Amino acid sequence: MAPRWQKALSDIAARPGRSALAILAMTVGVFALGTLAFKMAILSPVLASMYGHTRPASATLSTDGVEDSVVAIARAVAGVGDAEARPTIVARVRIGGAGKDEWIPAILFVVRDFERQRIDLFKPDTGTWPPGDDEVLLERSAVRVAGAAAGDALALRIPGGDERALRFTGTVHAAGLAPAWMEHVVYGFVPWTTVARNGPHRESAQLKIVVAEHELDEGHIHEVADRVKAALVARGHEVTRVEVPAPGRHPHAAQMDTFMYLLGTFGLLAFLLSSVLVASMIHSLQSEQVRQVGVMKAIGATSRQIAGIYLAQVGMLAAVALAIGTPLAWMVGSAYARFSAGILNADVSGSPFPWPALVLVIAAGMIVPLLAALGPVAMAARVTVHQALVEEIAPRAFGTGRIERLLAGIAWLPRPLLLMLRTAFVRRGRLALTVGMLAIGGAMFMAAVNVSAGWNRAVNDDFARRRYDLTLRVAQERPVDELDAILATVPEVVRAEYWTGASVYLIGASGVASQPITMLGIDPASTMLNFKQSAGRWLDDGTPDGVVINNAVVALNPTLRTGGRIGVRFEGRTHEYTILGVTRELTPQPILYACPPVITAITGETGKTARTMRIVTREHTGDAQLAAANALERTFASRGLEVAALQRMEDAKKGILDHLVIIMVILTLSASMVVLVGAIGLTSTLTINVIQRTREIGVMSAIGATPRTIAGQVWSEALLIGLLSWGVAALLSVPVTWALQSVTGRMFFRIPLELTLSFSAAGLWLVLVVVLSTFSSLYPSWRAARLTVREALAHV
Amino acid sequence: MIRLRGVTKTYQTPAGSFAALRQVDLEIETGELVAVVGRSGSGKSTLLNMVAGIDRPSAGSVIIGGTSIERLPADRLAAWRGRMVGVVFQFFQLLPTLTVAENVMLPMDFCGTYPARERRPRALDLLARVDVADQADKLPSALSGGQQQRVAIARALANDPPLIVADEPTGNLDSTTSEAIFRLFSDLRADGKTVVIVTHEREAVSGAGRTVTIADGCVSPDRTAQFA
Repeated sequence: MAPRWQKALSDIAARPGRSALAILAMTVGVFALGTLAFKMAILSPVLASMYGHTRPASATLSTDGVEDSVVAIARAVAGVGDAEARPTIVARVRIGGAGKDEWIPAILFVVRDFERQRIDLFKPDTGTWPPGDDEVLLERSAVRVAGAAAGDALALRIPGGDERALRFTGTVHAAGLAPAWMEHVVYGFVPWTTVARNGPHRESAQLKIVVAEHELDEGHIHEVADRVKAALVARGHEVTRVEVPAPGRHPHAAQMDTFMYLLGTFGLLAFLLSSVLVASMIHSLQSEQVRQVGVMKAIGATSRQIAGIYLAQVGMLAAVALAIGTPLAWMVGSAYARFSAGILNADVSGSPFPWPALVLVIAAGMIVPLLAALGPVAMAARVTVHQALVEEIAPRAFGTGRIERLLAGIAWLPRPLLLMLRTAFVRRGRLALTVGMLAIGGAMFMAAVNVSAGWNRAVNDDFARRRYDLTLRVAQERPVDELDAILATVPEVVRAEYWTGASVYLIGASGVASQPITMLGIDPASTMLNFKQSAGRWLDDGTPDGVVINNAVVALNPTLRTGGRIGVRFEGRTHEYTILGVTRELTPQPILYACPPVITAITGETGKTARTMRIVTREHTGDAQLAAANALERTFASRGLEVAALQRMEDAKKGILDHLVIIMVILTLSASMVVLVGAIGLTSTLTINVIQRTREIGVMSAIGATPRTIAGQVWSEALLIGLLSWGVAALLSVPVTWALQSVTGRMFFRIPLELTLSFSAAGLWLVLVVVLSTFSSLYPSWRAARLTVREALAHV
Repeated sequence: MIRLRGVTKTYQTPAGSFAALRQVDLEIETGELVAVVGRSGSGKSTLLNMVAGIDRPSAGSVIIGGTSIERLPADRLAAWRGRMVGVVFQFFQLLPTLTVAENVMLPMDFCGTYPARERRPRALDLLARVDVADQADKLPSALSGGQQQRVAIARALANDPPLIVADEPTGNLDSTTSEAIFRLFSDLRADGKTVVIVTHEREAVSGAGRTVTIADGCVSPDRTAQFA
């Protein structure tokens, strides 16, 4: 090997600690970028094709029949590419075994022909295919929710009938459905001839269509769906609802976007910070090589040759970092892709190895450190022999800056502490960089905890404003008096309210009724809802046509304002109301609240019968709600009334918080990556400071400082940097928290969360930063403490 | 005061082992001012490092004031050095971020030798003794080389050590300043301190009570000069 390359290699070996730090900094960069690149490379093609391959329905029409003739009418409509009847049975399934009386929602999709599916396709996964008349196939993500094993008989309560058992004989993969474990619902697939369909009022007759062209044009889909509806109505059929989901968007696309946004932001940030760190480290290392550069130049080396040596050195370090970081990034990136795929109910096991991502990581892992090194290396290579060997390269004198003069004025601190404090401020650029990097990591960490606290607060606050414990729906309309009488016999129940409701279409800004929204009739005097108003006021008796809308309605039509008018269409007729106010609630479901007479006026109902009741129980804990729910199940059953749905508010709250746990985990893990870069930066700065202060340490030793005192100084410096960064991080975390809470709030619920800052976030980070500073100072302290006076004084 | 018995110091270098000191025997009595002279690389700085407890012998014993320092662990050696030895360096080695007075107070802080409230008055006294009291609150960068070396001497005296060692203390100073610095060392000797100076300066050699010449790691027979 040529001597110059030997020098490049020997320099690395001669400074193992610093070389290891540089490699670590580069490795973190490779890891951050690689994780991001591998995850996206594995997931993106699957996502792009997966949802499209399920041939998702452009629109779903709720009709009065699912006979082949109905399907044929739809198929004949201009613009319809295909149509398929897919009735659904909204049932409940018992979990926890026969002895228990806990029921959770189940949706059974009735399939016309398993072998010839046309829309919302699903694939066989395990077990029987197709299922028999008394069998059910579960969506693979629902098996855990149902707590069932293949061969088990699932006890189902089907609307309009008694309990029925279907044998669970296999699983399917329906990639178009959100994962059952996140929705807390069991998805099942049953044949056209299933025993579950026997009897009246058992299913919702649903007709799915896909448009022939412009499949991503929501307006066009609405036009085609309206034509189908008109065609069905013209043939004497009834269409009660037309639903058009966001075209081409998976039900969990918003969550995926949030994850991508978070991972992308944090990953790139970690990568950029590690690049800055690498540049700073190389700059420091180069400054120690000035004399050697002078010597090499004196014996004939050109600037280009010298630059070549040091760039080769950086290249060697980068190669080692790639060798370590790439496999790690692959492991974490692919695991993360699998996890993300799980959220979307997708499968990435068949995804090809992402060679382009690997090339990108290797290229970036080599090029970025070299680019970062280019400036410092070029500067060092340009030093003249005279500058390097003859001129005194004196460090800038302390005391010339304002901060330094201020520090020089502090005399009351113990000298060792004073020394540490002032020394830290001598190299302000490096101090600022270290504090900055650690502060960014800290801000991200605090923001992650703040966002978690913000979500918890928002969810708890929202549920606290819904002052009821259970929502119970019976299978058929019953007189309110009868329901009241039944509830009065359940000791756990304190009171109940019966809200009227209607599904209507919102008339959008263009004047077209397009989006389905829910109208709820609630007595203005009711205390069950106590929403925060983001504008205007709540319902009152004084404005008969006054309604209150929630923020999700405003998201559909941002022109809606308090005092303005809102139009809805119900069964072909348009109704207009005055907007009294806008409630702020944590739901993606658009709801319009009105006084009960407003609803009964359009539905023609009397308001003396009801199916749904909101119930306040005597106690409000999860256990109390469960006990009350069980008592209600038994009581209604004993009266011969079928309970179609029974939701406990604590359960609903837990469901939402479960969704958010994943975000918090992602956020914290992503923040940890940035924190790691900051910690490496701190270790690097302390080490370089120790090296550059070697003679000073020698002098201190010579005048009586013990190794313990010197190590303590390094630790104090680490703490000082850590505490400074904590202060900066605390300030920085406010806008970061605000941005993250806004973005994630809008993605999930179309509403930015209110800014929540958690003291525990600041406290936790303070503890962590002390621990981190201590760990970061271990190596530099050890290095400083083990220096002998002779070595230290001999240091050039 | 100082007793070196059979002191050998060997360094391992890529070229093999190198003996900087070979079987050195040396005794220096309390209150002596000794000039250590010799050519470059002769071992005089190594000898000084042994005496100051800055380095440890590979063989032999170094007894200072009755303490066998080669056996002291690092922590105790540092504390011992702080109390017993005042070190003056060629390049002054004042800590640039501390003021002149703070530099002098630092050894007292490390060794806890004086009550905290007495440290600054003592530092000012010492600075006055070396004629730089008016510079007490300045940073070292604001002082001339001679003034910095006076501060370094004041710092060496901070803990009132019985032994002062100086490695080429005037190597970076002009002749007038050097003379003044040597006068300070003479004064210290007059105060009862033991002073060991590594130097090339003729004035120092002529002013020393005793000269120890070292060549190739061995001490030559003493040449005693009459202190003027």
